[in-house]
Amino acid sequence: MKMLHTTTRAAAIALSACLLASAAAADGKLAIKAGRVLPGPGMPELEKATIVIENGRIAAIGKDVKVPWDAVVIDAPSLVAIPGYVEAHSARGMDRPNENLDVAPFLSVRDSIDPVGFYFEDSLRWGVTTINIQQGNNCVVAGQGVIVRPIGLTVDEMIVRTPSGVKLSASPKMGFSAATQAQALRRAFGDLRRALEQLVAEKKEGSDRARREALYQGRDLEGENAKGKAMEGAAWKVTGLELVPRGEIDEKLVPLLALVEGKLPAFFYCGRPMDVHTALDIAKENGFLAKTTLVIAPAAYKAAGAIAAAKVAVILDGAAVYVETDPLTGEEREVFVPGELKQAGVRFALASANPTTESLWFQAAQCVGRGMPRAEAVAAVTTIPAEILGLGKQLGTLEVGKFGTVVLCSGDPLSVTSWVERVVVEGRDVYDRSKDVRVKHLIGGQAPANTQAMGASLLGDPRKVVCCEGEDPEEHAKHEAEERAKKDKGEAEDDK
Amino acid sequence: MLAIPSLVAFGIAALPSLVLGDEPAATPKDLFIRAEQLHVRPGRVLERGMLWVHEGQIVAVGTDLKLPKDALVIEGKVACAGFIDSWSAFALEPNAQFDDRAGPATRAVDAVDSYVDERHERALLAAGITAVRLQPTVGARAGGVGAVLRLHPTKSFAQTTVIADACSATAIGVSRGDGRSFDVFERVSAVDRVIGAIADGHAYLVEGNEYRHELAEWEKKIADKQKELDDGFKKAKKDREKAQTEAKDKGSEFKDKEYKEDKKPKAPRFDEEKEIYARIAAGELPLVVEVHRALEMRALLAGTARFDRLRLVLAGASEAAQCAELLVERRIPVIVWPVPMGVQRAREYRGASLALAAELDHAGVEVLLGSGAMDPLASRDLPLLGSLAVGHGLPRETALAALTTRPARVFDVADQLGTLELGRSADVLVLDGDPFAATTSIRYVLSAGELVVGEVKK
Repeated sequence: MKMLHTTTRAAAIALSACLLASAAAADGKLAIKAGRVLPGPGMPELEKATIVIENGRIAAIGKDVKVPWDAVVIDAPSLVAIPGYVEAHSARGMDRPNENLDVAPFLSVRDSIDPVGFYFEDSLRWGVTTINIQQGNNCVVAGQGVIVRPIGLTVDEMIVRTPSGVKLSASPKMGFSAATQAQALRRAFGDLRRALEQLVAEKKEGSDRARREALYQGRDLEGENAKGKAMEGAAWKVTGLELVPRGEIDEKLVPLLALVEGKLPAFFYCGRPMDVHTALDIAKENGFLAKTTLVIAPAAYKAAGAIAAAKVAVILDGAAVYVETDPLTGEEREVFVPGELKQAGVRFALASANPTTESLWFQAAQCVGRGMPRAEAVAAVTTIPAEILGLGKQLGTLEVGKFGTVVLCSGDPLSVTSWVERVVVEGRDVYDRSKDVRVKHLIGGQAPANTQAMGASLLGDPRKVVCCEGEDPEEHAKHEAEERAKKDKGEAEDDK
Repeated sequence: MLAIPSLVAFGIAALPSLVLGDEPAATPKDLFIRAEQLHVRPGRVLERGMLWVHEGQIVAVGTDLKLPKDALVIEGKVACAGFIDSWSAFALEPNAQFDDRAGPATRAVDAVDSYVDERHERALLAAGITAVRLQPTVGARAGGVGAVLRLHPTKSFAQTTVIADACSATAIGVSRGDGRSFDVFERVSAVDRVIGAIADGHAYLVEGNEYRHELAEWEKKIADKQKELDDGFKKAKKDREKAQTEAKDKGSEFKDKEYKEDKKPKAPRFDEEKEIYARIAAGELPLVVEVHRALEMRALLAGTARFDRLRLVLAGASEAAQCAELLVERRIPVIVWPVPMGVQRAREYRGASLALAAELDHAGVEVLLGSGAMDPLASRDLPLLGSLAVGHGLPRETALAALTTRPARVFDVADQLGTLELGRSADVLVLDGDPFAATTSIRYVLSAGELVVGEVKK
């Protein structure tokens, strides 16, 4: 896949419109005739196969599949079809992440997602079709994440599942220490426990008193206890919580309670190996280890043994190759982190180190380049992240019954010379490179119609649109030179 | 010295495996130590002593032990318990030293980095340090809850934690490494702050005890009341029906009798910092206070005299010699460390002298030695600090106690560390001379019964 370079807002706005226009209805029928189909890691490749998508899901896939008469057909005999990549953890696509409020389990990134953000557009260009947005590596309990598809103009349209889980962090922010971070984490759960105990005590006290009052007054005890539910939880429970109607529990505490009760997944950030132990301890102490996924920075790979022993999955949040400096000699050493994780027996997903140059395909390609079997590398960006997000039955491979989310590439999907040509998300034809105005602009030099060219001053004279289709390149170069000369002259005068 | 020739004989054969970096063979089940002088504990020396370590535990100590079959024999001139650094920052992540969020309830164990470079840990072990009391010191607002950890090159600190809440620590009038010294008013208020925190902890403790007492009383009262009400219910029901009929007949509104009972006592509000100071006031946790000037020391001692269970430990204590009598009277131990010299030396250290340990000891104060926790690797030089103290008049036996039994007692780990008595996990040093002579080297070190420094071939 070729790299895209810097972008301009003008081009992007034009593109958003283009993306929308091409989005077909999800309840229709769509057939993709691809030259090759790579249905999933370790699955046999199909030559000249057809994928039929009905109501957003794959209805049939194979060589001799009959295309329904009413299906829209994408005929792509030269393209390779793969399942869309799954980004298990990303803090992008938000207006602004919360990195200030330390303990905020009640916050949801849902309220901060910007549907027209560049990031979502770019995701399609790199074949990333499902994203778990989850922020707060610098917090303590950062809030709830959301799983989205990168299409749609409203947040509701984008959502696959909300909440995806609660984000916690075992890594202190700059200038603070692991000791106070662990203290803050323990305090969060300690506060929850004390608050629940207090609620139960008050409730119990109230109802006990009411019972005694009824006895005194000679009233028959009418009615049942207030409705509530006994607390679940593998590590600790507050007895008597069934006395408290769930609605009476402070909603700020509810997500943490859901964690302790094992009802919400946890995504725990660990920047350093020692943080892994804090995260595992906190998860164990509060009974949500089985629902925990660690989001680790490359430096935390040294704790791979502890991670494997705890049997938790990992999302590698950062570059696959980590450069380590020896504290005594100052020598630098390259560490191939996915290789270390694999060797320790850790189940891992890869996340994009950045949304463009190191997107998921690149991370997987790097693994293959360093000798990891292809199926394992591809699994780390498709099936494993899908399973981590609880979407293993919907996403990750191209199989009947799963989401009709297909990426069509111009060649080997892990090759640096391949493009993502078409993207279908749940039966909707959402991206076509031949109509991608921004790519045309940046790579081919064609400005979108009715926009100003790159570099044109917003305050300057409205000038002729340059770079547009059909303009003579020589003419264009001349224009540019004139403009530059004019500008230089202006600046020179300003200097005087 | 049987071990020496055998080492020479095997030296060449052992070389290739060393070059290849092979893992050393696991320590055998039985280790047998023979020493010309075996310090079981300071003051108790066995001439030609023997020590049998079986599966990591000391199972026999004496002068006439039978050599167990297949045991690995270690020989040397002197054997003693591993040294404990009473005041170290080894393996604490650097940020812990400067964290403004830290408070009395912050735990040092949470700042311990198990992934600290193994070579650093081996350097400490090679110097004879087998355990450390950890506490952030330099710039932290409060040292929080300190821990005692054993050093072992291959085990994680979670496995080698001897006690996670060994003590609490704070400081009075100590510059924070930023060159700024506190003025006298700040120092006075720092003393008040510490005394106030202990008083708050004490009040919290009393409040908690009172609450439990009141609650028990209330529960008893209510149980009695409940019984009375249960017994009287039939009558109450009849009365109520009667009252209802009467009201109906009169056409007036029926009202239930108003019920009254004693209010349930309220639990004191949970406060994590007061929880710690309550334990300090109760004498459960010793409180280590770094303080250097005699003025503040006196104020602190005067202000804390009324807390009779408080276990105060002074650290640094440059001018402690001036209050030695008080310290003896109150049985307050002092952790001495020779403070850095030079132009950067902060003002509070002005009164420090290398003879401090000896002076205090002479006056009858219980002296411990620590490396000051300014630098994570400072612990390596602890035996040198011991030698310095001995050179300036501290008796050798006292110096050994200051590095072994005394820290073990002060930090409540005397049942696990500090001596070579039966039943202990073996932390043993085997040296070729007096532990506090500069010419002595340490030949072998055992940590938790495993040979971690020195190699012996059968």
